[in-house]
Amino acid sequence: MNAPDRFELFLLADGEAKVTMEPDTRQPNAAIFTFNKEDHTLGNLLRATLLQNEHVIFSAYKTPHPLFPKFELRIQTDGETSPKEALLSACQGLIGDLQMLSQKLTREWELNKIARDTS
Amino acid sequence: MDDYDQLYGSDRGPQITIKEADNKHAQIVLSNCDLAFANSLRRIMLAEVPTVAIDTVEIEANTSVIPDEFLCHRLGMIPLDSTNIDDKLIYSRDCMCEMYCEKCSVILTLHARCTGESNVTVYARDLVVAEGAQLGSPVITDKEGQGAIICKLRKGQELKMKCIAKKGIAKEHAKWSPVSAMGFEYDPWNKLRHIDYWYEESAEAEWPKSKYADWEEPPVEGEPFNYDALPSRFYLDVESVGSLPPDEIMQQGIKYLQEKLASVIDTLGNKNEGGDGFGDGMRSPGQDYSMGGMGGGGGYETPYGAGGGQDARTPYAGGFGGTTPYGANGRW
Ligand SMILES: [Zn+2]
Repeated sequence: MNAPDRFELFLLADGEAKVTMEPDTRQPNAAIFTFNKEDHTLGNLLRATLLQNEHVIFSAYKTPHPLFPKFELRIQTDGETSPKEALLSACQGLIGDLQMLSQKLTREWELNKIARDTS
Repeated sequence: MDDYDQLYGSDRGPQITIKEADNKHAQIVLSNCDLAFANSLRRIMLAEVPTVAIDTVEIEANTSVIPDEFLCHRLGMIPLDSTNIDDKLIYSRDCMCEMYCEKCSVILTLHARCTGESNVTVYARDLVVAEGAQLGSPVITDKEGQGAIICKLRKGQELKMKCIAKKGIAKEHAKWSPVSAMGFEYDPWNKLRHIDYWYEESAEAEWPKSKYADWEEPPVEGEPFNYDALPSRFYLDVESVGSLPPDEIMQQGIKYLQEKLASVIDTLGNKNEGGDGFGDGMRSPGQDYSMGGMGGGGGYETPYGAGGGQDARTPYAGGFGGTTPYGANGRW
């Protein structure tokens, strides 16, 4: 059988980087980021979050081929921030949002549990 | 993120409401977030939250009517208790051992034999874990306390095997998924017109109302269509297979999504200002103890070393395609 091992969907190969950046020379303030061993879970999340940044004028991603676990994210900014800075701040913002969500969930779950135990 | 402490508990950021919950499922409402965020959470809970599941089986005797491979597949699907797995188990591929050890696996033994005239049914409860162990013990929720049926035996038939349960994620095989289903719904009144309902005479009359319809305002008659509107309330239904309680599935999903994002920040070489307060949460749990192995694999003899000859650096040393001494390929 020549099917690739399933863990190749999420384990980086030796020396493979999670993300690489390639400036897009056709337009100013644009870059294409290639994410290895990632899929729509991260791609669409970053795409949507980047579009909420007022300095981002373009953000879209594609999976070049469904058999290869990677995606390309193209970001163009208005020059106030670089595509890389925009990407990093999107990641940091999301980590913060998720942290808040986690704490709210802990609290909500406790309250729900108390309500369940008393009823 | 400087004013994080003031934000805590505020109206900013995604909100969560628990509609209904027990130890097997949770219906939650996510609001104040976009579709991509909610969907990423759904995807990560479905496919990237680790659990334990039987991964390799060493069959000593199988005289049942079920072939070895069939039996191994059935064993893999049995939910095993995976609470706090990240503190207790590392991935086998990150472990220093040659095949498996107590750091990266849980051993379950199964021995059943039919001696009487009537058939014997072998259940998940017959899988024996080390005494006192909670991690890896079969999840049993039925009131008879039997668990899933593995096999049936006729007089004289016997099963004797050693099952090696390992940590994994559902991206590799669905048996590692902590959820049996992840409900996901938004816009119960279809105000956004993301769905084009098929109908004979009237879509309203022919389609059932969403069970979440009462949670949102019905559309006003003659209201103009708002093409700028975006979904912002998402109804998720986390249905656990039993290996993890629903709150832990959600918390783990959040954690692993954060980890994914953190690995992006890490590789892009960000030396940004600290003080985020998130530094600790986002370390990959694997990294912390991946080196705490048995001090190198050399000189470690196992009865199975002869067959594969894989070196210890390959992921799943000795796993893929390897056959057990008894001829049964134990994987999946
Ligand atoms: Zn090990």
